[in-house]
Amino acid sequence: MGLRVLIVDDALFMRGMLKDLFIKGGHEVVGEAADGREAVEQYRRLRPDLVTMDIVMPLVSGIEALTEIRREDPEACVVMCSAMGQEALILEAVRAGARDFIVKPFSEEKVLETARRVAKRA
Amino acid sequence: MAIDMSKYRDMFLSESREHLQTMGRLLVELEKCPDDREGLDALFREAHSIKGMAASMGYRATAELGHHLEDFLSGFRAGGAIPPAAIDRVLAGVDLLEGLIDDLAAERPERDVRAFIDGSAAASPRAPRPTTPAAEAGAPGNGAVTAPVASGEEILKIAIELVSGAVAPAARALLMLRELAAQGEVVDADPNERQLLQGGTVPRLELRLRSWRAPQEIKDLLLAMPDVARVSCVVERLRPATRQSRERTVRVRTGLLDQFINLTGELVTNRYMLQTAYNDGRDREMRDGLERLTRLITDLHHHVLQVRMMPLASITGRLPRMVRELEQQTGKEVALRIAGEEVELDRSILEALADPLMHLVRNAVDHGIEERGEVQVRAGREKDLVLVEVRDNGRGLDAEAIRRKAVAAGLLSPGQAQRMVERDLFPLICLPGFSTRTEVSETSGRGVGMDVVKAVTEQFGGTLQIASERGRGTSIQLRLPLSVAIIRLLLVECGGELVALPITRVLRTLELERAEIRSSGRQMVVPLGNELVPLLSLRRMLRQPAKPVAGTIPVVVSEARGRKIALVVDRLVGQREAFVKSLAFPLDRIAGVSGATILGDGRIVFIIDPQGLLDEGAASGGRSGVSP
Repeated sequence: MGLRVLIVDDALFMRGMLKDLFIKGGHEVVGEAADGREAVEQYRRLRPDLVTMDIVMPLVSGIEALTEIRREDPEACVVMCSAMGQEALILEAVRAGARDFIVKPFSEEKVLETARRVAKRA
Repeated sequence: MAIDMSKYRDMFLSESREHLQTMGRLLVELEKCPDDREGLDALFREAHSIKGMAASMGYRATAELGHHLEDFLSGFRAGGAIPPAAIDRVLAGVDLLEGLIDDLAAERPERDVRAFIDGSAAASPRAPRPTTPAAEAGAPGNGAVTAPVASGEEILKIAIELVSGAVAPAARALLMLRELAAQGEVVDADPNERQLLQGGTVPRLELRLRSWRAPQEIKDLLLAMPDVARVSCVVERLRPATRQSRERTVRVRTGLLDQFINLTGELVTNRYMLQTAYNDGRDREMRDGLERLTRLITDLHHHVLQVRMMPLASITGRLPRMVRELEQQTGKEVALRIAGEEVELDRSILEALADPLMHLVRNAVDHGIEERGEVQVRAGREKDLVLVEVRDNGRGLDAEAIRRKAVAAGLLSPGQAQRMVERDLFPLICLPGFSTRTEVSETSGRGVGMDVVKAVTEQFGGTLQIASERGRGTSIQLRLPLSVAIIRLLLVECGGELVALPITRVLRTLELERAEIRSSGRQMVVPLGNELVPLLSLRRMLRQPAKPVAGTIPVVVSEARGRKIALVVDRLVGQREAFVKSLAFPLDRIAGVSGATILGDGRIVFIIDPQGLLDEGAASGGRSGVSP
């Protein structure tokens, strides 16, 4: 069965790409957010099965949003999306409770596989 | 992060042993009173505790057996009574559990319990529960209790190599650790979680996992993760583990810990007081501060010793079982009474005393009691000593048999033997190899003998006394110091050296006039009371040059081989409390030297053991007597 996915990224282009990818993989994209604050609000409202979260975003960062979401729902399943060269941030996110991370540029296969694996455990 | 269970291992072992001892005691009581509901309930709870503890430690066979006994007992709980056959069976189960605990303590695989459990149908009050088929046991969530019997604790040893270009490998490794922790329990990891949180490159992650999953499952799971290049996963018998787990543990009342903190606080305050007094050059305050320091150290010492203290109950727990077994073997009827189990002794003394105490009780049943009788084990404080007495109301020691045996063994001449009074004959039974029984009894056996009992007692500076009356019974009294580390010593000077004797080995000291010394054959003796005590030169025993004696002669009266001896020394220096250190190799090989202590001025003083010196002298053919 498909997952209900919330996509968080400040770049419209990235959101669009991820959205296509998830739909193609048989999942449902239930919401999109362009910054951390919006992500927390959407999560509260939608309670998705999976969140893909960009780390570097304006206003509220991905890690702050992750922390906030996990405070509300410790079972929240959040996968961080990061660019190369952000290893320290990735580590910080994992420490803050990220379920996994994927590194841009994304391969379609890897993203879907990660989503499946992570969601299965949840 | 998973909990590292290895550090709880010693606690598990000591607590399990306590539970098993209680089970043994309860079973013996239940045998006399089979419908004691409370006893049955208590027994059930003990089995339940063992099961629970073993299961959380992952000791499968132990947990399974605990579970089985719990199950077995619950059937009788409903009926309100337990038949003798069932008591035998549970006792056998307790024995098996003891064996399992020994296995775990020795870091061996747990022994098999299946045969015991399968043999339960006959004695069970109802059909035994079907046991879980091995195939089902692999399912997650299945506790250790129903898991198949493993011959030892198994553990998965996992090594993961990441691909060389992996992004954020430390974060990746952390995620793997977490994933694996969800599949079992991570025993240890290299690098560990703390190290991984520092980031950096992680080419390889190695860890040990306690898991219900098959190795292949774990391997597949890891290979499905990103950036994983290679995984190896092999089953390993747990060689537990960290070095710290070999250290002994002891339970401490929290109140005692609070007192330690308070004392530490006072010591710190005192230090500042002394510092100030020193800076200001105020002698009087310095003196007060030092006095205070002395009190605090005495206090601290007292409290530290308390931490080491354990009740006698920790070694008397086995006695009821043993007596029960002896009753069955010998057909005698024996009432065992234990008093003073709450009396505390230093744990090292108790550990050493466990076997000798069993031997004394066994002896009492075996040689003392005739048809039926009573054996009493009694402990009590006597000032700085603890008295442990094993007394029976049986036939008493046969002085004539001891006399004959001593002559036959060449220990005494017929004349000597004839002159000796009963009281002096009894200590002879503590000589190595001395036994008035010509046949070896099945129960008392060979193994530990009275010589070992005496040696252990004296090793801690204790004494052994025997009183016996024909037809009335025998009493063996052990007087032991409360603690081992600090003892009172008598310092004596000999050939310009200071040596010390434990005060517990000193019967008295005196200054002899030359005229008091007599000779008996080639041996010089001195009359003490109505005895003639051989006079020995400590200088000779220590192989120091002889010295002509002028004026009065200082003498220390001690005991060796069950007889009094008078040791001639150069000077009696005085008594002192001292912290005794045991000697390390090669000094520990010197016969007659049992330890050493350091005096306030830095001098090292050896503590001598007259018995050991005499043995050594006899072995090397030297003579230590004072010649006439």
